[in-house]
Amino acid sequence: MNLTADIVIMGSGAAGYSAADAALQKGKTVVIFEKRPFQGGVANCAIQYIVVRNEKAYQDKAFHLLYEYGNYNGNPKVIRRYVDNSWRTREFIERLGVKMEVADAVPLEDLGAPERADGFPPAINVHGDDTHALGRGRGHGGALVGLYAMRDIIKRGGTYLLDTPLTDIKLDENGAVCEAIGVHNKTKEEVHVSCKAVIICAGGVQDDPEMIREHTGFTYTGKDAPNGGNVTFNCFPNTKQTGDGHKLAWKLGGAVGNISIEGHDMIPGPGIETSTAWITYNQFKIMTEQPYLWVNKRGERFFDESLSNNHISTCRGIRNQPDRVSYMIFDDDTRKHLEEKVDYFYFVFPAEKLTDVRGQFKDLIENWGNKHVFMADTLEEICAQAGISEEGLKKTIDRYNGFAASGVDEEFDKPAQYLRPVKKGPFYCMRIYCGGYNTIGGIRINGDMQVIKENFDPIPGLFAAGDNVLNELYGNPIIAGLGAAYFAMPLGFAAGDCASEYIDRL
Amino acid sequence: MKIEIKDYCIRCGICVGLYPELFAHNFEEDCIDVLKDPDTDELKQQARDAARDCAVTAIFLEK
Repeated sequence: MNLTADIVIMGSGAAGYSAADAALQKGKTVVIFEKRPFQGGVANCAIQYIVVRNEKAYQDKAFHLLYEYGNYNGNPKVIRRYVDNSWRTREFIERLGVKMEVADAVPLEDLGAPERADGFPPAINVHGDDTHALGRGRGHGGALVGLYAMRDIIKRGGTYLLDTPLTDIKLDENGAVCEAIGVHNKTKEEVHVSCKAVIICAGGVQDDPEMIREHTGFTYTGKDAPNGGNVTFNCFPNTKQTGDGHKLAWKLGGAVGNISIEGHDMIPGPGIETSTAWITYNQFKIMTEQPYLWVNKRGERFFDESLSNNHISTCRGIRNQPDRVSYMIFDDDTRKHLEEKVDYFYFVFPAEKLTDVRGQFKDLIENWGNKHVFMADTLEEICAQAGISEEGLKKTIDRYNGFAASGVDEEFDKPAQYLRPVKKGPFYCMRIYCGGYNTIGGIRINGDMQVIKENFDPIPGLFAAGDNVLNELYGNPIIAGLGAAYFAMPLGFAAGDCASEYIDRL
Repeated sequence: MKIEIKDYCIRCGICVGLYPELFAHNFEEDCIDVLKDPDTDELKQQARDAARDCAVTAIFLEK
């Protein structure tokens, strides 16, 4: 099949459909390649959209917050593109007919306020209005956005090539993009699209263990953690995010950007992950939110555990420990406390208190065969089962129980109400690894969303947006960050604008 | 009763997680398999619940 379009878009996720919307608004024709047989990518999982208001002072403050968050390591032109196009996210979603609800309207003076951050870094969660797209059934709003965006873009003349990975991009004699080639997964028919620009919106690399190992130093556990490893993912199963966009950009001479695991600490293995990110078998995801004693393999504390619902900070702490692994430990008094009231409420899986914690541990250990949670009458048994230094843990607990008695955490200044002593068995322990919904970063772009080479020359006609360019937002290398549809969409709009303007200049 | 899953199903697995007697992931074909026609009152109710719970209205029931 031979087609012609102004702009080809690789991937139909949040960045992809936003790029298409922007290009169509500028009168361009678009073809979207999507390797899966359906639309939306990992943005089908999205619920929360932080939206920077379309007001200069508001955008300026959001810009400074994000630039500072990356320790001035990000590309300020890309950050500017993000904040200045963020308002279009809500406008587009509402235009599609998906309802948006403002969970927290943040006035200008409160941007960056920690008390509004729900455990996340304030710069990430409080740089705009906290807005939720309302889903149907048990799904999140992002799933409807992806579906309605596809229908809208097709109605406006755009073409979706589903089940058709984009496999190659050709450059002309001047080194400019001139053709995109894909192959239908089932029919094996080749599709050639003669075009002037390609926008890579292909997401992360979470389903390519080799890329994860090479670029992040982590070893993927796999869903049931059969062979060890030290990082796990909690998006939909088998997202097939294999860095196809990265590989094409790099093949064409694009510079290699930093790739990072976004932060979402998790217990790996059976009984934790369901078939979707939206439902759980049990309440372990709520337990790992709680601010009690966390240690590394040496039995040593490694962070202020009041940050334990800040998944990004927690993962950064875990990443710096031996074997990149951590353990959360509590005793039977804290078990009773959790059955009366949790300290940290988790909005994704809301519960004010836990039910039958002991029964949940027993079920996970005995029925699911999960090897990463432990319950025993003595700390010696916990250490032997979990692989924690008994000497180190006992020393830590002696000191920690002293902090609990005095109400003063002399190590990390954790607030007194979270200093719950570890005294009375049975004891409960969970092995917790870094994880995430996806990976972020990997493709270098300039402020005009163009893919650049090592010498910073752009590859004419090649653009990128979404998770795969977040190294430019957070900094290259990425110190800490998360991927989100609310970052991907504005960058998609910007890439659609920039690619259209590039074509107009030809 | 027969269950039909539309092409735009996002394979998120809500139906698989909640109603495993009726639905399963098919990773090789990249689709959700319907395991059987609901033939009992209980399974018919599960099919109706699955249609209600679906994130994108991709589950349709034919009597």
